[in-house]
Amino acid sequence: MSKPSAPAKSNASGANASFDDKSKSKDSRYANIVAARAISDVVRTSLGPKGMDKMIITAKNEVIITNDGATILRNIQAFHPAAKMFVDLSAAQDIEAGDGTTSVVVLAGSLLGAAEKMLEKGMHPTIIAESFLKASAKAVEYLTEMSTPIKLQDRKTLERAATTSLNSKIVSQFSTLLAPIAVSAVTRLLTPTSTNVDLRDIRIVKKVGGTIEDTELVEGVVLNQNVVTSGGGPRRMEKAKIALIQFQLSAPKPDMDNTVVVNDYRQMDKVIKEERAYILEMCKKIKKWGCNVLLIQKSILRDAVNEISLHFLAKLKILVVKDVERDEINFLSKSLGCKPIADVDSFSEDKLGYADLVEETTKAEASIVKIMGVKNPGKTVSVLCMGGSHVVLEECERSLHDALCVVRCLVKKRALIAGGGAPEIHVSRLLSQYAHTLKGMEAYCFQAYADALEVIPSTLAENAGLNPIAIVTELRNRHALGEHNAGINVRKGLVSNILEEEVVQPLLVSTSAVELSTETVSLILKIDEILWSR
Amino acid sequence: MEPIFSAEGSQEKAEMARLTSFVGAMAVGDLVKSTLGPKGMNKILQSASGDGINVTNDGATILKSIHLDNAAAKILVNISKVQDDEVGDGTTSVCVLASELLREAEKLVMAKIHPQTIVEGFRIASAAALKALENAAVDNGSDPAKFRNDLLNIARTTLSSKVLSQDKDYFANLAVDAVLRLQGSTDLEHIQIIKKAGGKLTDSYLDEGFILDKTIAVNSPKRIQNAKILIANTSMDTDKIKVFGARIKVDSTGKLAELERAERDKMKAKVAAIASHGINCFVNRQLVYNYPENLLAEQGIMSIEHADFEGVERLSLVTGGEIASTFDRPDLVKLGHCDLIEEIMIGEDKLIKFSGVAAGQACTVVLRGSTNQMIDEAERSLHDALSVLSQTVRETRIVLGGGCAEMLMSCAVEEEARKVAGKRALAVEAFARALRQIPTILADNAGYDSSDLVTRLRAAHYDGKADFGLDMNNATIESMHKLGVTESYKLKRQVIVSASEAAEMILRVDTILRAAPRKREAH
Repeated sequence: MSKPSAPAKSNASGANASFDDKSKSKDSRYANIVAARAISDVVRTSLGPKGMDKMIITAKNEVIITNDGATILRNIQAFHPAAKMFVDLSAAQDIEAGDGTTSVVVLAGSLLGAAEKMLEKGMHPTIIAESFLKASAKAVEYLTEMSTPIKLQDRKTLERAATTSLNSKIVSQFSTLLAPIAVSAVTRLLTPTSTNVDLRDIRIVKKVGGTIEDTELVEGVVLNQNVVTSGGGPRRMEKAKIALIQFQLSAPKPDMDNTVVVNDYRQMDKVIKEERAYILEMCKKIKKWGCNVLLIQKSILRDAVNEISLHFLAKLKILVVKDVERDEINFLSKSLGCKPIADVDSFSEDKLGYADLVEETTKAEASIVKIMGVKNPGKTVSVLCMGGSHVVLEECERSLHDALCVVRCLVKKRALIAGGGAPEIHVSRLLSQYAHTLKGMEAYCFQAYADALEVIPSTLAENAGLNPIAIVTELRNRHALGEHNAGINVRKGLVSNILEEEVVQPLLVSTSAVELSTETVSLILKIDEILWSR
Repeated sequence: MEPIFSAEGSQEKAEMARLTSFVGAMAVGDLVKSTLGPKGMNKILQSASGDGINVTNDGATILKSIHLDNAAAKILVNISKVQDDEVGDGTTSVCVLASELLREAEKLVMAKIHPQTIVEGFRIASAAALKALENAAVDNGSDPAKFRNDLLNIARTTLSSKVLSQDKDYFANLAVDAVLRLQGSTDLEHIQIIKKAGGKLTDSYLDEGFILDKTIAVNSPKRIQNAKILIANTSMDTDKIKVFGARIKVDSTGKLAELERAERDKMKAKVAAIASHGINCFVNRQLVYNYPENLLAEQGIMSIEHADFEGVERLSLVTGGEIASTFDRPDLVKLGHCDLIEEIMIGEDKLIKFSGVAAGQACTVVLRGSTNQMIDEAERSLHDALSVLSQTVRETRIVLGGGCAEMLMSCAVEEEARKVAGKRALAVEAFARALRQIPTILADNAGYDSSDLVTRLRAAHYDGKADFGLDMNNATIESMHKLGVTESYKLKRQVIVSASEAAEMILRVDTILRAAPRKREAH
C-alpha cells in the first residue's frame, strides 16, 4: 500500500470531517464555558488601577469591601464545577505569586471565549487545548526575553514594583507610604542566599483608629493584645525581662474531674487562703528570676489570670499581657529571643527575653503595646496597620499582603517587566507573528491565543473609562513601531512608555498568570460530561 | 396464580434478561469510551452530597464513583477495578472492549445464534489473540539501557492519555526514576505523593527521602543530622484514668495544687522515659502539649505532633522504626533512622523532610498544579504510570501501543476464523471486529476519520507491517516502533483476558433475579 500520498490527502480534507460531536458533550462544554466566564466577568471590572471594588456580604453577615480577585472569589459561593475551578485558579495564583489574582481569572475567561468561538467552527477541543499549552510556553519565553533582571539591593526598583501593585487597590493614595514598608519588611528577612521568604515572619498587627497614614513598620515587636491593667499593674517597663508562659496563674485545676468538698465555714476560709498562697507562690517564683513582663498564652481550660494573681503581679511590678494565641508563640519566641515556658518550675535565665522598653502607648485612640530594643532579635518584622474601620483595615492588610508578595516574587525570580498592558500586547504581537510560521489548526489556535491576551490592556482601558478599541489599536501600532515598553498610562489616559512612568511588575506574576490560566482552560476544554457521583 | 416471589422481588427471563444486560454493559462502555486514548476527554464528577468535584479521565475513577443499577454494568465496573488493582492502567480499555464484545454478541444473538455457541467462538478467538500478543511481545529485560528506554516509552504512552500529556517527557523520567528506586518491588507505598496547589505542573519534582506535611514544634531544633527517631502513638497531655465518671474529691485547694503537681510529675517521668531511648526526634500521632514539648526541647529533642495515622505509618515504613506506645523498655523499641531532618518550603507551606532514610528506595513526589482538580488528576495519572512501570519491572515484556497490538490480534483472530467450521466462526469474526473497535475509538476521540484510518491500518498489517499503529498527532498510520509508543505486555494481556471473561459471563446470563430488599426496622 502506498503510504506517502494518502495521509497528506486525508489530513487536508477530512481531519475533522468525521468529527461528530455528540450534543450532550457539546451542551456540557458550553455550560462549563458559560459558568466559568460568568466568574471572570464578576472580577473583570476590578482589574487595574481604576478598577472598581466589590462589596461582599458573607454568609456570616460580615461586610467585605475589596478589589482583590482572590478575596472576591473566595467569598463567592460558586456552585458550578467549572466556576469552582476558576475560584481555585485564583487561589493558586495567590499562593504562587500573591498578586495578579484578578488578571489570571480575566485571562482564563478570555481564553475560554476564544476557545468557544473555535469550537463553534467545529475544531476539536483537545487540539485547541494542546495548542494553547504550546502557545503559553511560547508566551512565557517571550515574557522572559523582554524582562530586565534586577538586583535586590536596588531598593528603588523594588519600591516601584510594590507601588504598581498597590496602585490598583483601595489604598492607592497611600502607595508612597506602604510601598517602602513592604520593601523594607521583605528585605529585612533576606539572607544573601535566600531564594524565598516566609511571609509568616512578617506580622501585620491591625488596630482600629487613626488613618492608614499612621501605618508604620515598627522597630521591635507590636502585640495584638493590650496590657491587662485591671489589677493596677504597670503599663511601661524599662529594661524588660520577658517571659512567655504557657501555664496559668489561677486556681489549680488538675486534668481529672474534681470536686472540693467543703463541710463547714472554717474550711471555706482555708480553701480561699490556700488558693491565695498557691498563686502567691507562683508569682514569687516568677519574680525571683527577675522577670517583669509576662506574656500569657490563652487557655481554653481555665482562666489565664484571675483578680488575685493580677493583684499580686501588680504588687510585684510585673506587666501582664494575656490571651496570646498558640500560633503566635512561634513568632513571638523567634522575635523576642525567648523560649516558651510551660511550667513555673522550668523557669531559667536563658528562656527569658530582654528588651530595653515595653510600653503601652496610645496612638490615635488605639492602645498599642510595643516592645523596643530587643536584645537578641530574630529575623522577623512587625507592621502596625491602622485605619478608620475594620473594613478599611482588612482591605489595607490585603493590599499590603499583595505588595509583600510582589517583593517576594522578585526574590524568587529576580526580573521585572513593564506593567500597564505592555507585556500582553508585546507577547500577543510576537505570538501572532509566530502563528504565521505554523500551519493547520495550530496556527489558528496560536492566533486566537494571541488575540485573547489583549483582554488585559482592553480591560485596563475600559475600567479607566477610555476607549478600549482606540487604546489597544494604538498600543499595537506603537509596538509594531518598536516601542516595546509602550503601555496604557491610566493616570493620564493615554499610551506612553510605561517604564518611564515607573509602572513595573515582577516577571513571576505575569508568567505564572499565563501558565496557570492556560492549564485550567485546557482542563476545562477537555471535559465532555458532568456526572453525578456518590 | 399465586406469586412465587415476594412483593418487591422480581424476575427477568431469557430475552428480557439478556437485553437488560446488553443495554447496561453498552451504556457503561459508551460512558467511558470518550475518555480513551491520548485525545480522550475528561469528565467532571460532581458529588451529589458534598460540594466536591473531580475532573478525571481515569476509567476506574469514573466508574467507581457513579451510581449504577444494572447487574451487567456492575460487572464491568468490577473488571475495571480489578484491572486497576492488577496493573493500574488500562481501566478504560478493558471496559470498552468488554462492552464492544457484547455489542457484537447482541447482533449474533439477534441472528439466532445460541449464546453458548458465541461463548465457544469467543474462547477460540481470545486464545488466538493472546497467542498473537505473546508472539509479538519483546523482552529487553536483560539490557539495562534498552530496558530503561522501554520503561520511558511505556511511561510516556501511559501519560499521553492523561492530563500530564503536555509534560509527558518530564513526568515519564520522574516516574521511571521513582520506580527504578524501588528495585523490583511493586509496593508503591514507598513512593509518597504530596500535593500542593500553586505553581505549574512542571514545578513538580522527585525527591529522595520522605516529606511529612506537618510542622516542627516551636522551640525544637529545626534541623537534625543523623537523627534517631522514636515514632509513637501516645497521649501527651495526661494519662487520664479512662474509667467513666472517675473523679477526685478533696477538701482544699492546696490538695488540688498537689494533684496538679502530681500530674505534671507523671508527665515529666514519661518524657524522661521517652528521652531515655537516646533519641533526638520524637514523632507522635497525637497532640503533644506545651509542657512535654518544652521538656523535650530542653533535651534537644525535636518533637513533631499530630502526625496522623498515615504519616506515622509511612514514617515507620521508611525509617525502619516501630510505632511505640509504652516506653518502659527502651531496649525493645526499634528506633527509626535518617541522615537529616529539616524544614523545607513548598509554595507557602513549611514541611518536614527526612532525607537519607533507612529504606533507601523511598522517595517523594511533590506535585504542583494550578487547581486542586488538576493536582488530583495528576496524582491519579502518575499513580497509573507508576503502577504500570512497577509491573513492567517484574514482567519485562512489552508490546506496541497506538492500536497496533489490537490490530495485530484482530488479524490473527480473523486468520483463525478461517480455520473454524460452523457457527462458531461467526463469533470468532465478531471478536476480531470488537478488537478493531479500540483503534476506531482512539481515532474518533481525536476527531480523525476513523473508518479511513482503521481500514488503512488493517491493510498495512496484512501487508506485513506488523508494527504499524495510529499516529495520533498527524492523523495517519506510522510504525509504532519508530514513535516509541509502547505498552506493557501484562497490561494488554490482562485487558483481553478480563474483557472476554466478563463478556462470556454476561452472555451466559439468562435470568436476573432481584431479591426483595431487606426490611429495616423502624426506629
